[in-house]
Amino acid sequence: MMEILQVFILGLCLGFVYALMVSGLTLIFGVMRIVNLAHPILIISGAFVSYWLFIKFGMDPILSVPAAALTVALLGVLLYKLIFEKNAAQQTYSEMTVLLTFGTAMVIDGLLAFLFHNTQRITSPGYATDAIFIGEIFIPLAQLYSGIVSLTIIVVLAVFLKYSEFGIAIRATSQNRTSAELVGVNVKFVCLVSFAIGCALAGSAGALVSFVFSFFPSRHWEWIAILMSLVVLGGMGSLTGAVIGALVLSVVSSFVGAFYSPAWSTMVFFLALFLILIIRPRGLFGIKAD
Amino acid sequence: MQNSKKIIPVLILIGLICLPIVQFFGNYNYVIHMVLFCFLYITMSSSWNIIGGYGGFISIGHNVFFGIGAYFSGFIYARYGISPFYTAVFAGLIATVFGFGVGFITLRVKGPSFIISSIALLMILRTLFDRWELVGGAHGITLPHNNLSVEWSKIPHYYALLVLMVLSIVLSWYVRHSKFGLALRSISHDEIKSEVTGINIKIIKVTAYAISAYMIGAAGAIWGDYLTYVRPNIFFIILIAANMVLMCILGGKGTVTGPIIGTIVIIFFNEFILANFGASELNIFFTGLLMILTLLYFPDGIIGSLKKRKLLPGFLDWD
Repeated sequence: MMEILQVFILGLCLGFVYALMVSGLTLIFGVMRIVNLAHPILIISGAFVSYWLFIKFGMDPILSVPAAALTVALLGVLLYKLIFEKNAAQQTYSEMTVLLTFGTAMVIDGLLAFLFHNTQRITSPGYATDAIFIGEIFIPLAQLYSGIVSLTIIVVLAVFLKYSEFGIAIRATSQNRTSAELVGVNVKFVCLVSFAIGCALAGSAGALVSFVFSFFPSRHWEWIAILMSLVVLGGMGSLTGAVIGALVLSVVSSFVGAFYSPAWSTMVFFLALFLILIIRPRGLFGIKAD
Repeated sequence: MQNSKKIIPVLILIGLICLPIVQFFGNYNYVIHMVLFCFLYITMSSSWNIIGGYGGFISIGHNVFFGIGAYFSGFIYARYGISPFYTAVFAGLIATVFGFGVGFITLRVKGPSFIISSIALLMILRTLFDRWELVGGAHGITLPHNNLSVEWSKIPHYYALLVLMVLSIVLSWYVRHSKFGLALRSISHDEIKSEVTGINIKIIKVTAYAISAYMIGAAGAIWGDYLTYVRPNIFFIILIAANMVLMCILGGKGTVTGPIIGTIVIIFFNEFILANFGASELNIFFTGLLMILTLLYFPDGIIGSLKKRKLLPGFLDWD
């Protein structure tokens, strides 16, 4: 029983990190119908920012979350201006946009791999190897802290989207772009800012990923499939759905890892994706992807 | 005009059949290698074009069939000593059957969900083959060399891939001009309207997916024998699929000759990058960059753009 609870808590902590990783992806899809395959490599870019800040200045990865977020957000604005602005003008999904993000992912992957090589990296702040014990249950501090930080960021995001004026404008745009424009929302600006926020979320997730998982540039292909399975499970474009999808799959995969074999734990995400496609292609909370 | 349309491809084909003669005059293995590499990728991109170009279902994990074909024939060769040249036909069939099974699941969705599922499929197979001890896990299968001398050892693969290439181009042409292809293209424009006109869209979609798997599977079998080893990190990598997609788009997707031209351009571009910059990381960078530039400024591809301006030479216009 204790063991089950233990695995459950570990899975839940990671689940919040996954939820943060996927939240930016969901936001961007909701507003612009862009399936951003470059999202995982943006996360890894954020991880690199934290990694270098840690190596050069000994800066704690949690403290470097804002720095990573800002850097990746700026990168995102640059990408948006260069590549996506023309396509974001129409809010219909097109294959071309997905392939554009795919190409972007390859460009950043190739650049990072060329500059820093495909070696496994991990930042190791003091608490990375520490854990606290509650009764018989131990919780590694790295996962606990990253879970808490992720949860905080997600809550802030949710409150922002729910109550702030700009958040309402974002939600209006993702529900119906034409109507939003009619009631005076500056849709172009909303798109740009949502894209930047989505990328900032990727960057902040990257800072956490840098000490929770090890990372190297080419790893993002694996994460594309993992994150996409979370998005599809939750339903494209639904933030609640994505968070729930992340928590559920993360817990299931840690059970598979603990009781069967760690090698197969990522398989849970990929198989879940297929199951969802068979049973309910729209996902659990899906809006229609047109 | 009509004459050149037939004569030039036939002349090119005869030239390709005769090309190995150069080996009598010295060691031109590099030339042979480059040409047969083109054959391989033309086979794959033409096949991809059937579902991706005509059907509009962008699959970024199409090399799963490549890997399955390679593993099937490689396993039989290593275990029972039957050469992949005989089993390639069946490797294609296995890939087709697999394509049918997977197609029934993944082709239920379209658009972004389909693309995502194709990546997930690739990841599933990569994980599976990395762990599957029967076929050597991450180390894969090592195959024996053939006993031919250095100059002639590539020639059997050369002709096998030439045959596959010709077959896949013919197949692509046939699909383009058949009623089946017409139904497929109408599906790519609007599924619901197609269904209303009485097209069984499910069967058409899945069949197209399975057909496009066949040649890729067979090519995988030959390619495994050519490399003499079959490993997950060679066959199940996304870069192969990315190349297939890029070749089709650059050449002009949904046209018969587009993938051919696109493939030749990309392969020489890649070779140029490799010769000048070396590192394979930069290769990924430039492949991505080329994909972005093509999509932004050149979405019709080479063949499509030429056709729009009515500059397309007759022998390249097979549509």
